[in-house]
Parts: sequence; structure tokens; C-alpha cells
Amino acid sequence: MSTAISTKAPPPRRRLAGHGLTEVALARLFIAPSVLVMAAVVLFPIGFALVTSLRSYTRRQVDGFAGLANYGTVLSDPAFWAAMRFTGLFTLTSVALEFVIGLAFALLMNHARRGRGVTRAVILVPWVIPTVVAGQMWAFMFNINPGFINSLLGLDDFNWLGSAGWATVTVIAADVWKTAPFAALLLLAGLQTIPSELYESARMDGASAWQRFWHLTLPLLRPAIMVALLFRTVDAVRVYDLPQVMTGGAFGTESLSMLVRQFIVITPDPGIGAALSTITFALVLGVGVLFVSQIGRSMVEGGSTR
Amino acid sequence: MVVFLWCLAPFVWLILTSLKQGDAALNDPDLLQGPFGLGNYVAVLAQDFALNMRNSFAVASMTTLLSVSIGVITAYALARLPVRRRIALMTGVLAASLFPPVALVPPLYEAWRTFGLLNTYEGMYLAYVSFSLPLVIFIMSTFFAAIPRELEESAKIDGASALQAFARVILPLAIPGVVSAMILTFVTAWNEYLLASTFAPRNPEIAQTVPVAIATFTGAVEYQRPIGTITAASVLVTIPMIILALLLQRRIVAGLTAGAVKG
Repeated sequence: MSTAISTKAPPPRRRLAGHGLTEVALARLFIAPSVLVMAAVVLFPIGFALVTSLRSYTRRQVDGFAGLANYGTVLSDPAFWAAMRFTGLFTLTSVALEFVIGLAFALLMNHARRGRGVTRAVILVPWVIPTVVAGQMWAFMFNINPGFINSLLGLDDFNWLGSAGWATVTVIAADVWKTAPFAALLLLAGLQTIPSELYESARMDGASAWQRFWHLTLPLLRPAIMVALLFRTVDAVRVYDLPQVMTGGAFGTESLSMLVRQFIVITPDPGIGAALSTITFALVLGVGVLFVSQIGRSMVEGGSTR
Repeated sequence: MVVFLWCLAPFVWLILTSLKQGDAALNDPDLLQGPFGLGNYVAVLAQDFALNMRNSFAVASMTTLLSVSIGVITAYALARLPVRRRIALMTGVLAASLFPPVALVPPLYEAWRTFGLLNTYEGMYLAYVSFSLPLVIFIMSTFFAAIPRELEESAKIDGASALQAFARVILPLAIPGVVSAMILTFVTAWNEYLLASTFAPRNPEIAQTVPVAIATFTGAVEYQRPIGTITAASVLVTIPMIILALLLQRRIVAGLTAGAVKG
């Protein structure tokens, strides 16, 4: 079982075609546009942000070289640590819940013999709904008045969105609703690659349902699990839309991304904003590298045991 | 079934709410409290919402066109042609797909301000390519890897050049993959909010997209969020996406899970 990252060995260099472009020339021609575009929209911004983060600014005007002063300012700012706390809490809780619910959905769907197509279509609904729409929808549902959830649960005027702590809970709830199905889909694809003969022989050996799940499904599903966790964790660290729309960052729900945007657009200090965005980028990259090294290892281990 | 209830119940709430008329009905949590009607939809369409839809459509289409056309050939080169530093390039693509969009906000905001690209379609879809291009390359390289190599070999024995083998033999076979990549890119671009609200926040006649419009709707009465028009607008943007999802469910699932699990 292989995973997202193609680690195929490069093919042997083949005989060049008799006429037209050689394969090497064609490869260069085909790759050039992407390299150019990525350099313009990804590499250039990273470099530019690094430079900007080392400069000091007064209202958008460059005011000289600042060294690491911007980073110092960011790291000593309580707003930064509040955003870190929210982002961290949000990431851990929502990814954990999404994973458990997603896995349950995937197992259910894998068992169901009929209506699999319909279920897969339905499961895409939360995914295609724009996050802004989902945010508005859940904000209205958690509202005090007309509070659909309050009337459903028999709570009179419980202020979900307007109290510290519960505001975080509502944002996490909306996120779990929107993306647990997506996790389910990725895990379902993994489940379908497990041959059913394995389950039959385990059953004949007298393994209980729980033992089959724990010793068979989970280890074999590991690559799919890692990929699903990678995608979801990275997305959660970059979260912006949901808290922005639902609470506007009030009551301790300001994420790192929201803080960056605040320094760029609302209270302009490009130096601070760039330092913050660089820190965010480093965090996301760190999480990514962690997962990718794990995925790589699981491939090596998988290869040696089979 | 649990899955159905989980996925659809909030959306049913959204539709029912958008159909309610009048303050009393909208402020009543009881879903079946009438009167019902299409008043909210009429109000939304009277508020330039059609312009927002047009902007979103233009930006998402251009993003799709641009990133799919250059992403597909790059993916083919990475999957099949002799490329030096293939591993480095693939790692670069993966790193770019992890890139947090918010890191684009400071540099691109300054650059777009300098080049006059704020509040333009170009400023929007150029920024969107940063996240959609790695996605396309990612999906398409797994599709190309799944097409048997012998097909190119035999085309070349018949005298086709490398380019002809790609264009005449491989590309037609990869159409399902291209369709997946197009849908995924379009949906992502259609739903994007952070960059849209930064680079084109202002007015629907220029480049403001639907998510920005929905997030900033203000009611006739100040301090009261216009639940009726917001829910109606939300239904209007979501319905086309849902129809797309239902019709092309197989393709979307294939695209989402390509590479991720099949390999």
C-alpha cells in the first residue's frame, strides 16, 4: 500500500523519439510554466515576507532595518499567545473529533451494501458548502434568538457565541460538522483497499469484531489515517473563515490567521504582520514535515513486512 | 441513517429558514412557523447579489482554466518524462500545498497595491493559483501514473513524437482525471474567503465574491443581522455546488482520494 507522495524511482532514460521534441526538451517545456508561476505566487511571497519581517514600519512606510525586533514584539504580545492557544485548542479538539466521527462513518459506509453512491453524494454536501455559509448557518443556529439549538435542547437563552469558552465550542462544532465527512471519505477509500479475505481468515481463527478492528483494520488503514490527519491538521492550523464569520474573533476565538490579517489590513504594520505570517508558515511546515516523515516511515515498515 | 441526518439536517434548516417571511416568523425557532414565501430571494437578488455571483463565477473559472492547463502538463512531465530533480520538485509541490494562504496576505497585499491589482479579477485568480496549482499537479500525477506505460511506447513505435504521444494518446485517457481536478479547483476557488475578503473586499461591481458578500450583508435595520437574506443568499450559492456534487459524485470522490490512498 503506498501513499500520497510518489517516491517512484525515475524511469530509465528512454530512446529519443525519431522526430519532434526530445523527451527531455518536452519535460522542460511542460514544467517551465508551473515553475514560473509557483516562483511568482509562492517563492516570491515567502522571500518578500521574510525581508518585510526584518524591517520596521510606521504606517506602511519603511522605517529602516529592524533585525529580529518584529519577532520580539510578536512573541511578547499577549494577543499572539491567545491566538496560539485558540489555534492549538481548535486544532487538537476538532481533528480528534473529526477523526473519531469520520472513522465511524467510514466503517458504517464500508459495511452498508446498498446506497453507497447516495451516501457518498450526501457526505459531499457539507464539504461543498462554502465555509462562510456554514459559519453563518451555525452562528444562526447557536444564536440566542431565534435560537434553534437552544429551543431544541430546551435551554432558554444560553449565550453560546457570547461567552468565553462556549464560543470556542461552537466554532469547533461547526468545523467538525463540515469536515468529519471529508475525513470519512479519505478513510473509506483506505478501507476499500483492504482485501476482505483477510477478515474471513481472521474470523475463522476466532478473532472477535473488536480484535479484527484493532489488529487488522487499524494497522492496515494507517497510511490513509496519516494522510487524513495530515490534511486536517494543516487545515486546522490555518483556520480563518469559521471563527471570523461566527464570532469575529471575540471571546478568545481569534486564530493566528485572523491576527495576521488584522496587522496587514486593519491596523497596518507590515513588519509585524510578516513576522506573524512567517511564524504561522513555520508552524504549518513543521506539522507537515512531522507527518510526512511518519508517512515515509510507515511506507518503509510496510514494505519490509510484506 | 446517521450519516444522512448529520450531513443534511443543518442544510434543511437553512432552506426552511430562507423561505420564512416576516420578522415574527424569522425570529421564531420553530421551523414550521409560517408564513412561507420567496420574499427573501427577491430581496437578495435586488441587492447586487447577481453581480457577486458573476464575480465568483469569473474568478473561479479563470483559476480553474489557468491551474488545470499548466498543472496537467507539469503532472505529466513529473509522472512520465525524464526530469532531473524529480524528488525535489515533488517535494516542492507538496510543500506548496501545505502553504498557509494567510502567509500570502502580507506580501501579495503590498505587491497588489503597487501593481494596482487590488479589487481586480486578475489579483484574485493569480493569488488563487498558489493553492490550486499544487492540488492539480498532485491529483493528475497519480492519474498519469496509473495509465500503462506501454501505450506511449507503442505510439512511439508507430512514429509519434513525445509530444504527439502525450496529446493524442495519453491526454484523452486522462480526461476523467482532468475533470476531477477541474471540479475540485472550481469548488475550492468558489468557496475561498480569506484572500477574497483581503484583496477585493469592497463593492460588488468590481470583484467582490459571494462569500465576502454573505459575510458582510447588513440588514435594513442596523444591529440586526438580516437572517432572511443571508440564508436565502446562502442557499443560492450552495445549490449549484450541491447539484454539482450529486451529479459528479464519483469524479469528486476519485479526485479527493487519488494519491491519498490508492497511490
